[in-house]
Amino acid sequence: MFKKILLVCVSVLLTQTLSANEQKQLEEHFLSRIDNVISVVQNKELDKEKRNASIIKILTPMFDFELMAKLSLGKKYKKLSTEDKKRFVDLYVLRMKNSYSSKIDAYNDEKLEVKEILQAKKNRIALVTDLVSSKETLKIVYKFYKPKQAKKSKDTWLIYDVEILGVSILKTDKAQFREYLQTKSIQELMDTLAQKS
Amino acid sequence: MKLIYGLLVVSIFFNLGTCSADELDEFSDEMAVEEVYDPLSGYNRAMTSFNDVLYENVMKPVASGYANVVHTEIRESISKFFHNLYFPMRLTNNLLQGKFKNSLEESERFVLNSTVGILGFFDPAKSKFEIDKHNEDFGQTLGFYGVGAGPHVVLPLFGPSNVRDTISMIPDSLLSPIDYVARKDDITILEYVAIKTVEKVNCTSQNIEKYEKLKADAIDLYPYQRDVYEQYRQEQIEE
Repeated sequence: MFKKILLVCVSVLLTQTLSANEQKQLEEHFLSRIDNVISVVQNKELDKEKRNASIIKILTPMFDFELMAKLSLGKKYKKLSTEDKKRFVDLYVLRMKNSYSSKIDAYNDEKLEVKEILQAKKNRIALVTDLVSSKETLKIVYKFYKPKQAKKSKDTWLIYDVEILGVSILKTDKAQFREYLQTKSIQELMDTLAQKS
Repeated sequence: MKLIYGLLVVSIFFNLGTCSADELDEFSDEMAVEEVYDPLSGYNRAMTSFNDVLYENVMKPVASGYANVVHTEIRESISKFFHNLYFPMRLTNNLLQGKFKNSLEESERFVLNSTVGILGFFDPAKSKFEIDKHNEDFGQTLGFYGVGAGPHVVLPLFGPSNVRDTISMIPDSLLSPIDYVARKDDITILEYVAIKTVEKVNCTSQNIEKYEKLKADAIDLYPYQRDVYEQYRQEQIEE
């Protein structure tokens, strides 16, 4: 009986240590990627196009843009034809990449600090960060998940949503797509996305 | 033998299960988007378009012209001056929410910035003493005590709001020194409008790029602004 209890205790402790290690590794990996992004942003010798391309190259393995595209449409995504699924995902991924690179390129003297690590589920971690500048502090939460099977040319933990000052990029997109599709078709939505990118 | 067979069956079942597990369903709990109660959507859409046309044709050209003439640092100082003036509103709302440490820090900021910071044009409280500001308004106070947002309302010039936050502008204006001197007839209505215009143009001139980026991410401007506003306010209340 004692052995069994001991075994349970050891396994619980081991799981917690593993999870703490995983969180630490994720935090370090994330911060090193961000450092890379910042060094590109600060490299004013590169022109804007090259800078944005380099930023996208660093960001792409960190994000699961494809999953974000699917989640933004929700159940409607399942009903699309294979062709439409591909077109929608491609357009959404392009939109996300453009949106992120243009926002990050505006960074100047900011510093990113991880304030808290939250783990709601075994395969989900949220990094609560502060983007600190001399003028203000922006709270940004990066939400990661660990896919059951590692994805090709992607990190182990992938970002599926970002919350800036409490505003979830994914939820906002989901809400506006849903409302748009109440009166218009998916083709019109994709045409609008194509125009905007 | 039975045990090995059993384990094999379980492992096959588990593998099949993981392979067929749908990523969309896995996130359905977190990604649920509530249906927004929006009885004023017709009016709100029209007002969003009106505000946008007004912004593009009047406020943006005026604010851009102003930004070309007035140096960035001067515009920042003007913005700090107005922020400092609204101290009574922030103090009262911090106190009403029982945020005593924040109230104390706001008071320290006001004393430091009004004196060393020359009437609030500079912010030594942050730059020298690292005392952060704690923005609180009456809408946040009501939200803190569980008052719901009510239907979304787009206000002329002011933009996105909701019933709770619109009503809250009244007690907040009672705590605004600019509104106070206007009520006491110490300044004329023209002077009041002039002060408010400077404040608005100065603020717009600092946020032109932010608005452009927000607009670029919108597929449909009205629901996008509405959701961003409501989520942002919810976060402010929860903090």
